[in-house]
Amino acid sequence: MKLESIPVQVTGPASGVTNAILMEIAELLQQLAEKGVSGAINLRSLPLSEEDRTRLEDRLGHGEVSAQLDVAGTTEVWETSYPGVWWIRHRGGDGRIAAEEIAVTHVPEFLMSPKEDICAAAARINAEMHPTETSASEEEALHV
Amino acid sequence: MSDSKTLGELLARRGVSRRVFLKYASYTASLMALPPAMTTAMAQGLANARRQSVIWLSFQECTGCTESFTRSFSPTLEDLIFNFISLDYHHTLQAASGYAAEEARLAAMEENKGKYIVVVDGSVALKDDGIYSTIAGISNLQMLEETVADAFAVISVGTCAAFGGLPFANPNPTGAVPISEIVTDKPLINISGCPPIPEAMTGTISYVLSFGVIPELDHLGRPLAFFGETIHDRCYRRPFYERGMFAKSFDDQGARKGWCLFELGCKGPITYNACATQKWNGGVSFPIQSGHGCLGCSEPGFWDKGGLYKPLSAGIGTAGQYIAGAAAAGAAIGAASAALARHRKNKAMKEG
Repeated sequence: MKLESIPVQVTGPASGVTNAILMEIAELLQQLAEKGVSGAINLRSLPLSEEDRTRLEDRLGHGEVSAQLDVAGTTEVWETSYPGVWWIRHRGGDGRIAAEEIAVTHVPEFLMSPKEDICAAAARINAEMHPTETSASEEEALHV
Repeated sequence: MSDSKTLGELLARRGVSRRVFLKYASYTASLMALPPAMTTAMAQGLANARRQSVIWLSFQECTGCTESFTRSFSPTLEDLIFNFISLDYHHTLQAASGYAAEEARLAAMEENKGKYIVVVDGSVALKDDGIYSTIAGISNLQMLEETVADAFAVISVGTCAAFGGLPFANPNPTGAVPISEIVTDKPLINISGCPPIPEAMTGTISYVLSFGVIPELDHLGRPLAFFGETIHDRCYRRPFYERGMFAKSFDDQGARKGWCLFELGCKGPITYNACATQKWNGGVSFPIQSGHGCLGCSEPGFWDKGGLYKPLSAGIGTAGQYIAGAAAAGAAIGAASAALARHRKNKAMKEG
């Protein structure tokens, strides 16, 4: 039998940093539940080792939602096993982690379509559906 | 040249969504340890900003700062800064040369009066009317004074511009001075290092662009976000220092085991910079991780501190001779020499 096939994972005690982050998450989650106030924790500014990060990720687990965004490199977003606690990982051009945060909120802002883009999309789809009117109004604008 | 459209409008024309600002703001906020709550405000600030006109002046320097600024970026998130600024003048990067280049500088100054940022790398030669470094027939001093007259702010990148650097080192044959000696009536930010960490340069510019103000600075004019802690504070070898486990040579057992490099001349305890956290080459490593002590390149007078491989406990500069003598006599000097080092650094800046 190979070691990997044994369905038991041996883990050591959580480090101080991991515990501190978990406590902060608990507090932020309480605020979200009671007052609807969102919060976030910047993981990059903390002295997290790879082991700490893995431990924290394992501890929070993965929930029902995950998404990948292609915006100036990849961004991975997933809801942890605690609803309202989201892990956001931004990667740079070469795939390395450029920024990472835990957002405690209903929906991370990243997943919502920005208002300006929605307005632009509305104008674009309108132009596509009524090409003649648009080109006529553009011509008029040119002559004003 | 600067565009009348906002950055949001400019990028939208290229099919880039507003999310890119949110991502860039997250990245910058993370670099500068800003509260995550500021991310949205920063993204909004960036999207509504106009392309920032930047005039980059290179004086007595080696172009290492430009290399750092341009070479370390991978082609997506980190190079967005080049969409946010309009680099209107830069000897090494601009296509124009001769009169056309100088006309571009003057045109940018005229068009963006009071709004452009001047980035300077290199020190300014003052001896013999500055004849040791001239561009387009005028001295560096003339060009600097002329260019900063209508600038919004000045950023000295690299230790040569911030503190004089290598040209300033003894015996300073060209009479080199840092930019702070000349520019006294404009907001001035020093981003020291030889070269500076690229993220410190781009992060600072992005901050100015987003919020319209300069970030909080230390007593040497450096952004606290990048220069708030010493290399030693955040060094992964620090536990060995605390336990007194030091490498005695570059090939002994201690060096192989990754022990502290303090006794091999590491200047980490008196050097404020972000190398230990930001690292270099896309986060691959930094000098100490590669087995060499910190040279202290982001501090004033680092070249004249009395030997790159002399431990700090042996003292630095002239005073070091006396400290070394005291050490030979059996005095306990560790803490005292660190305090003296800090005192001398401050004194050096005042005298500089």
